[in-house]
Amino acid sequence: MTFDLSLILSYGPELLLAAAATFGIWAAGSLAAVALGFAIALARRYGGFLVDGPLRLLVEIVRGTPFLVQLFLLYFGGPFIGLSLEPTEAGLLGLSIYGAAYFAEIFRAGLEAVPRSHVESAECLGFTRWQIVRRILVPEMTVLVLPPCVNMFIVLIKETAILSIITVPELTLVITGIGSKYYAFVEALFLLALFYWGLVELASRLGRLLEARLAKLSFAA
Amino acid sequence: MSWKLFEVLVQAAGTTAVISLVSISIGLLIGVGVCAAMMHHHPAVGRLGRVYVSFFRGAPLLVQLLLLYNLLPVIGVNLPSVVTAVIGLSLCTGAYQAENLRGGFASIPVGLVEAAEMVGFSPWQTFIRIKAPIAISLTLPAVVNEAIMILKASSLASVVGMVELTETAKNIAASTFRPLESYAAAGLLYLVLNWIVASGGRLGERLLRAGRT
Amino acid sequence: MSAISLQGVSKRFGETEVLHGIDLEIPPGEVVCVIGPSGSGKSTLLRCIAFLEEPTAGLISVYGEPLGFALGPDGKRQRLPRARIHAVRSHIGMVFQQFNLWPHMTALGNVSEALKTVRRLPVKEAEARAMAQLEKVGLAHHAGHYPSQLSGGQQQRVAIARALSLDPKIMLFDEPTSSLDPELTGEVLNVMRALAADGMTMVVVSHEIGFAASVGRRIVFLDHGRLLLQGGPQEVFRKPRHPRLDQFLDTYLDRGAAMLL
Repeated sequence: MTFDLSLILSYGPELLLAAAATFGIWAAGSLAAVALGFAIALARRYGGFLVDGPLRLLVEIVRGTPFLVQLFLLYFGGPFIGLSLEPTEAGLLGLSIYGAAYFAEIFRAGLEAVPRSHVESAECLGFTRWQIVRRILVPEMTVLVLPPCVNMFIVLIKETAILSIITVPELTLVITGIGSKYYAFVEALFLLALFYWGLVELASRLGRLLEARLAKLSFAA
Repeated sequence: MSWKLFEVLVQAAGTTAVISLVSISIGLLIGVGVCAAMMHHHPAVGRLGRVYVSFFRGAPLLVQLLLLYNLLPVIGVNLPSVVTAVIGLSLCTGAYQAENLRGGFASIPVGLVEAAEMVGFSPWQTFIRIKAPIAISLTLPAVVNEAIMILKASSLASVVGMVELTETAKNIAASTFRPLESYAAAGLLYLVLNWIVASGGRLGERLLRAGRT
Repeated sequence: MSAISLQGVSKRFGETEVLHGIDLEIPPGEVVCVIGPSGSGKSTLLRCIAFLEEPTAGLISVYGEPLGFALGPDGKRQRLPRARIHAVRSHIGMVFQQFNLWPHMTALGNVSEALKTVRRLPVKEAEARAMAQLEKVGLAHHAGHYPSQLSGGQQQRVAIARALSLDPKIMLFDEPTSSLDPELTGEVLNVMRALAADGMTMVVVSHEIGFAASVGRRIVFLDHGRLLLQGGPQEVFRKPRHPRLDQFLDTYLDRGAAMLL
């Protein structure tokens, strides 16, 4: 069996573009997921049970079903409700919604972990709800939610690979495409695995560094 | 969606459940082995375990499955796609379970081990009578979690040619031109499967604590 | 012969010297109470006697038997094999601040475990002996309960029973009541009082000055890793006192207690 990586590597520019696409989709999707997730967590906390109930149901559904099924629903089912999406659009939307559900859970747990007494003393001092969120909850919560958030970012890096199944032009699709052109599947996939593995290791290390830095300024909870 | 088609989906859900169960079980065994390696005193063995965990948690499952699917024939091994899928899923979940188990051992309060030392336990006795039982009971919730992850991850088995729930839904969607119903129904079945596993986990936890509180 | 003998025991953690050359001789049957401010090295000293920490210098012996390190023919310390350490340690029982009961075993299970696993007694005999110990600490009727079902005071008493199950000659107590609610300390201190009355050699690290003054035969005052004072309670607590001891009693304890003594 020949194991010739040079063939694949010769596609340098295409690979770089695809990697950039992967990064772009991941970054945009993660950001949207964090924002949406935080909004959901706040809405659930302060919106009363009419908001909390349905949101909780939605979050559980998204967290309880495979990402692939959600993508298929959006991409293939979307047109039937007037939502005609390009693969990349569907991928971005799918990633954002998927991530948002998980971030919503992480932030919900984080908000609850902030001691009641800290919130109550702020209330006694006359803080408005928004001020409490900004000045008490978010700072105190950050240290607590950082590890699960870093973990989720890493999970999302890996989930971008699934976008290839609906033909989003990210790295997995491009490399397997090159591989299939030359029947060099194993080399292509091996390279792909190494790439993600390296990226995930890097992200994990950066995450741990960040956690250590922040732990120094931690608030005793 | 007609009931007949839904029945087909339910059958596919059964397939998904079975391959998930088998993968989790094999993964548990792999996890115990890899965890033992990670905690081994020989540095090379420990490193091997850590590299295994790092790789199988670092590369996307999709890529792992594709790699396995394409690699095996090249080295002369020809397996039915079910087996390939189960192997791929087991190897992946094995890494997560190894890490969970390692975490379980790490969170045993050191005082409990010191107390064992003080009454004269040998390291092996401490491991068998104290550390292992406690680590296992700490890890149980994580195993239930992993089972749910595998149920969802099994949807990727279709890329290695296995027909499970997601693939069946895709086929039905294609033939009936009703993707919304098909995938929604599949999603529902996944939720049902997850609920069954989660309930089983809660029951298991309750039985474990029986008489303790 | 001393039950416990410490000669020049020092302990360093990294850069910090926590114990400086402690010399202490404890005769059999004596109750020694070690007091001092936080960070003075009291717990470290106790853990060195238990060999849960290894002293970086100095020698410890239990009834003449060296523990952990012995003086080699060249005058340098030699580490002893694990079997010998275990043999000497079998004379020592330890009670921890956090009780450290094994959560997956009942009270009876905790107390009988060492008899079954280490002494290899048949289950019936091990459990009979364990029940006797539980009766001594007043918890026979809780034998089938798990630690999570017991109060702090009850858990600590089970821990004492567990330590006693192997018939040690020496009992070490590391702040046994510090994790307990105030109303639960009494039941534990009473068990310790009874043990002392029975003639057990005890080394107790504690903030319970009342206990130290009434039950202790010798008070040892540790400050910044040095043994500043030792003597009978009358000697040590009589005024005029050593200024550091006065400072300790004033700052760390209820002013009332300091005045009463």
